[in-house]
Amino acid sequence: MKKILLLPALCLLALSTFAQHQLGNSRISGDFGFNGMYYIPDSLIGAEKVDSKVRGNAFLNLLYSNGGFSAGARYEFYMFPLIDFEKINYKGQGIRYFFADYKNKFVHVTAGNYYEQFGNGLVLRAYEDRQLGIDNSLLGARVKVNPYKGVTIKGVWGVERLNFDSYLGRKDFVRGLDAEVSFNEMFDKVQEAGFVASVGASFVSKFEKADTEIETTLYPGSDSSATGVIPVDKIPQNVATWATRMSFGYKGFRLDGEFAQKMQDPNITNDFIYKKGDALFLSATYSMKGLGVAASFIRADNMDFRTQRMQKTNSLLYINNIPAINRQYSYQLLADYSFASQPNSQIGVQLQVNYQIPKKTKLGGKYGTDLTFNFSRFHNTDQQPVPMAELYGTMTGTEGYTSNFFKFGPDLLYQDIGFEISHRFTKQWKWILAYNYISYNLEKLQGHEGMMRGHLVASDLQWKVTSKHSLRLELQHLYTRDDDGSAIYGMLEYAISPRWFISVGDEFNYGNPNPQHRLHYFNIAGAFVWNTTRIALNFGKTKEGILCIGGVCRAVPASYGVGLSITTSF
Amino acid sequence: MKKIVVLTIVIGTFLLVGCDRIEGPYLITDQDETSYVEFPALDVSTVYRKVLIEEFTGHRCQNCPTGHQKLEELHERFGDTLVPVGIHYGSLAAPNAVEGYPYDFRTEIGTAIGQDFAIDGIPTAIINRGYAAGGYSPVRWQSKIEAVDRSTPLAAIQLINEYDAASSILTANAKVTMLVDCPNPLRLALYLVEDGIVKPQLNGTEYIADYVHNHVLRAGFNGIYGKLLNGDGILKVGTGYTYAKKLNFKDSDWNPANCSVVAVLYDRTAGEVLQVEVMKVM
Repeated sequence: MKKILLLPALCLLALSTFAQHQLGNSRISGDFGFNGMYYIPDSLIGAEKVDSKVRGNAFLNLLYSNGGFSAGARYEFYMFPLIDFEKINYKGQGIRYFFADYKNKFVHVTAGNYYEQFGNGLVLRAYEDRQLGIDNSLLGARVKVNPYKGVTIKGVWGVERLNFDSYLGRKDFVRGLDAEVSFNEMFDKVQEAGFVASVGASFVSKFEKADTEIETTLYPGSDSSATGVIPVDKIPQNVATWATRMSFGYKGFRLDGEFAQKMQDPNITNDFIYKKGDALFLSATYSMKGLGVAASFIRADNMDFRTQRMQKTNSLLYINNIPAINRQYSYQLLADYSFASQPNSQIGVQLQVNYQIPKKTKLGGKYGTDLTFNFSRFHNTDQQPVPMAELYGTMTGTEGYTSNFFKFGPDLLYQDIGFEISHRFTKQWKWILAYNYISYNLEKLQGHEGMMRGHLVASDLQWKVTSKHSLRLELQHLYTRDDDGSAIYGMLEYAISPRWFISVGDEFNYGNPNPQHRLHYFNIAGAFVWNTTRIALNFGKTKEGILCIGGVCRAVPASYGVGLSITTSF
Repeated sequence: MKKIVVLTIVIGTFLLVGCDRIEGPYLITDQDETSYVEFPALDVSTVYRKVLIEEFTGHRCQNCPTGHQKLEELHERFGDTLVPVGIHYGSLAAPNAVEGYPYDFRTEIGTAIGQDFAIDGIPTAIINRGYAAGGYSPVRWQSKIEAVDRSTPLAAIQLINEYDAASSILTANAKVTMLVDCPNPLRLALYLVEDGIVKPQLNGTEYIADYVHNHVLRAGFNGIYGKLLNGDGILKVGTGYTYAKKLNFKDSDWNPANCSVVAVLYDRTAGEVLQVEVMKVM
């Protein structure tokens, strides 16, 4: 198994022969990544003993391009993946991404695997996030046409990737159409007047063969419980979603909106109900010198849209993506309390105000002071069971519930009230101080019991020692009586730009209700950058929790060990 | 113009085939309890109290044919005032292909009733579910039937069966009319029984390959003891309850021509069957 460590070395050697290969108009480029770890069991933090202690994820992208034509492939080696990925079944090897692509001014055609997004992704977002282990690429064909200036029409057909499972024998596929008209591109005068305006519409449909009836228990828990069956001919094989969107901007003001609706889609995540789903996303921003205001609203109800109706694991086989509009933080102590977007039930708002106290004032100092205020609050949607669901004691096989569109449901999912001050004292010294009060529904978002309410204070002090040397000290304190209790975190980072970087950090869960779990999670890391290659090494412990990126989350198991990461492009 | 028309047709077709619209109801359930049949007016003067006898038996039980014979004698004696149900129960009812008894007559409902009444030997029977741990042996069946007070009918049950041969679905419609006030919770259970099943049976030491099994419990429409009628209070005299349950014959070897529906109105608190009725499926 330790041979796995040879893989990055061999690939780097092989890539050096490819580097920047160019013949006439042809060009070959690509990138390579390896992320490996040597695992050490630690029963205190819950780091399990793993079968093979040395594990790693590796991929190699190759791209050939010649004028408007390009072709590429990605080889992935996840035979002995990091345990996070094994737990989500992202395990295997092979070329799971390949394509041939041609484009000119009028048409853009892709055959093979591709990523695509319609609008804000409410009805279609095929994307990849390697850190989360998500690859929702479609294998099929895509055509984009620009019949007129400012008009774009897209058509897609494909089978969605499911980890390393075979595409053969699949009984599901996705097809979609999207059209967008950009008025500022179409009419020069609109552009010249400073306006941005566009409208768009999408239609996406999935097909999945229905060959198994769905059973449910009626009157669960009573002594007259019985079985109900949704027969095969009552299961929709073609499920459609549609959306319309608009965007308008003038100078510092911008307004974006999209409304989507999903037709009957009984699936395991919605308890096989026949209610239509809907989603509304609105965003308004205004900015002027020294002031920025951004407000967003989102409602998503019964919008979990996947190619297979029995799939409920993490983000597997999602066709769409309901974005999380809350402010994203990189604070270590808030990592476990990141809001995970709830496509089947969420309604909420986000408001952020940025204000800069002007330079050369008493409060602003020589460089000005940046203030940021943030508020976000998300609830579940209002859901009133239909009479049939109340009668049966289950929503399965019924219209499910009715929902007042703008009414917030009874359960608070997440709330964040935050304030941040950022001030540069001198050219060398900068300090960021932040406070957040977080309310996080552990039951709804993680399946644990209760609500976490906590106060976080974070400080980030940066000292530019010389033009190349810099030091950064990050300190955080989370005070809470809930969940795992209070914790402190400190990290010192030293960078010699542009090549070297080293850091030491420790998280101490001093307030854990269980005294035996009041543990340290230290981490020592270093990285070296040479041209387009980055090699990083780290040693330490990772607390069990979740990892969220853009509201999409996955579980992170506790781990302890030495990690090696290599990325390069050519 | 031609291109626009073609494009419109292509997109229109795409949109149409891309979405299935399913009309409700979506769920097939035997829990649709609304009866749509019209019951004839009840002539109370013709109502009499019937007696339920649940016989526990088994095809590998050497004494059980004696019980079957006793039951037939009682059925002849009491006529339609006695409603028999044969429950194949226990280890001697279990199939044994090696010995020539591959068929499984047992049902989950029959097993549950046997366990509730602590049946530990066969042939035995319970009469109107008057509790007797272990049940009664055949010699006591007649006296126990005669001990049931039948001077006053307590309730009437009317049954109408609708069998749809195309879908193999039987709808049993029942109407319960109370003839006395009843403060206890009452349950209405519907069972399917079948006559004329030709399967092996042990009789003493004799293996009878073509034995005819009658009154065999096949299934329950609505659980072990059925639907609770008066969860919300006293059942007043004169109150009528209509009720319908469906049973699918698909994937079964039941012969609808030989089947009957048995409706049992049971006061579980008092441990007494108030009324029982039987009606042929077709």
